[in-house]
Amino acid sequence: MEQMSEEERKRILESPPIGTFALMSVVIGVMVLAWLFLYYGVFLLGGSL
Amino acid sequence: MIEQATKKLVLAHLWVAFAAFALACVLGEYQVLERSGFIEALNSAPVYFASVSTHGVLMAFVLTTFGIMGFGYYFAVTSLNQPLWQPKLAWLGFAVALTGVVLAAVPLLLGKASVLYTFYPPIIAHASFYLGATLLVVGSWLWCVIMVVMFAQWKKANPGQPIPLAMFATTANALLWLWTSAGVALEVLFQLLPLALGWIDTIDAGLARTLFAWTLHPIVYFWLLPVYTAFYVLVPKQAGGYLFSDEVARASVIVLVVFALPIGFHHLYMDPEQGQGWKLLHGIGTFVVALPTLVTGFTVIASLEIAGRLRGGQGLFGWILTLPWTNPMILAVILSLLMLIFGGFGGLVNASYAMNAMVHNTAWVSGHFHLIFGGTTIIMYLAMAYYLWPMLTGKPLFSNTMALCQLWAWFIGMVILTTPWHVLGLLGQPRRISTVVYNNFAHIGLETL
Repeated sequence: MEQMSEEERKRILESPPIGTFALMSVVIGVMVLAWLFLYYGVFLLGGSL
Repeated sequence: MIEQATKKLVLAHLWVAFAAFALACVLGEYQVLERSGFIEALNSAPVYFASVSTHGVLMAFVLTTFGIMGFGYYFAVTSLNQPLWQPKLAWLGFAVALTGVVLAAVPLLLGKASVLYTFYPPIIAHASFYLGATLLVVGSWLWCVIMVVMFAQWKKANPGQPIPLAMFATTANALLWLWTSAGVALEVLFQLLPLALGWIDTIDAGLARTLFAWTLHPIVYFWLLPVYTAFYVLVPKQAGGYLFSDEVARASVIVLVVFALPIGFHHLYMDPEQGQGWKLLHGIGTFVVALPTLVTGFTVIASLEIAGRLRGGQGLFGWILTLPWTNPMILAVILSLLMLIFGGFGGLVNASYAMNAMVHNTAWVSGHFHLIFGGTTIIMYLAMAYYLWPMLTGKPLFSNTMALCQLWAWFIGMVILTTPWHVLGLLGQPRRISTVVYNNFAHIGLETL
């Protein structure tokens, strides 16, 4: 960390957080798929009482 | 800058909070043993319900309220860099709340208040329990007043300046609590306490549940906001980076407070008293409130990404590895966010009207709130305690390694505890029942059928 140049530091601070965008996209995508699975695969398949 | 007297005040609150936590943990262990079915002598429905009620009240009301007040006083004096307003009033609030805890604890421990932490009528506890709960809330209102006054004083002294984020979020939480605690206060003062004292003969259980729902879900955000404050204020510095966006953090707090208010009825989807329109409104509110949670998650992870890249992390996810995982605060935030993902997903299922019927009053709900509260929230309270205790006492943390082991154990334990609950809930296993034999698969299969 000490060897980082001021330019490199500035570049990092001004860069968009692409890793976070990727991570959040995966999380939201998996949550949507899991919700759909529970609704169509568990809830509706369970039938009525 | 924090004065010695304020340190004592914060420490006093945290001692009560974590003493309650320790006792609640012991009761939790008892419940595990009772439910295991391995020790026949422990099987007792009255003792089990007394234990569950005490466990819930200590964790959800005592640990949280005292912890939040303590964290709030710390954030106020350190972020505003000014002495506490009216320390005597703060101590009065502490004394009133503590008296309330003692008054409630006696009937709880004697089995005279086995009404669970939701205390839904027509089950009625000893009057001392309700009186104690009232005093606990009144004590916390004094904390709210102090936070709001300190906010106003700072704004008056610094016109045109944005209030420090920590105080912004803490005051927002105080306002949220003033609003949301009003529901349970009305229920206790005008329904439960008069009935317990014999002043009235009947109670409108539907109205009581409605008033409690006013409190029941926004209270989750009262518990969570100090965690989000730590996410925004403490975590970026501890990670060696910067907060991704102060403005986004403030916007997220505002949206959270506004939309946390009309959501409690999603606990009452299956109740007949409330109109469908109100349930729809609260259902929409519940989905909307997921937005600031997602934004908070994004802001915190982006802050961690900045820190990780400043520490030499490369590639799309390489920065995760360069984070200081041996710092309890950083480890806790990562584990907390992981549990928030799964717990948050469970919350979306609860909020979905149709699917709510599938999981309503099942073990799924126990799994969900333990994951969000016991997992996401409490692991950060623990990390905040590890951060604050050395500052408040002037003594170094006894063992960083032990703190890390404790956080990992807490996370693994929460996953092991809550996953089967979710599965059993989907199979139809009811909650709030006195006996479940978990060590016999045939029995579980029979019960769930």
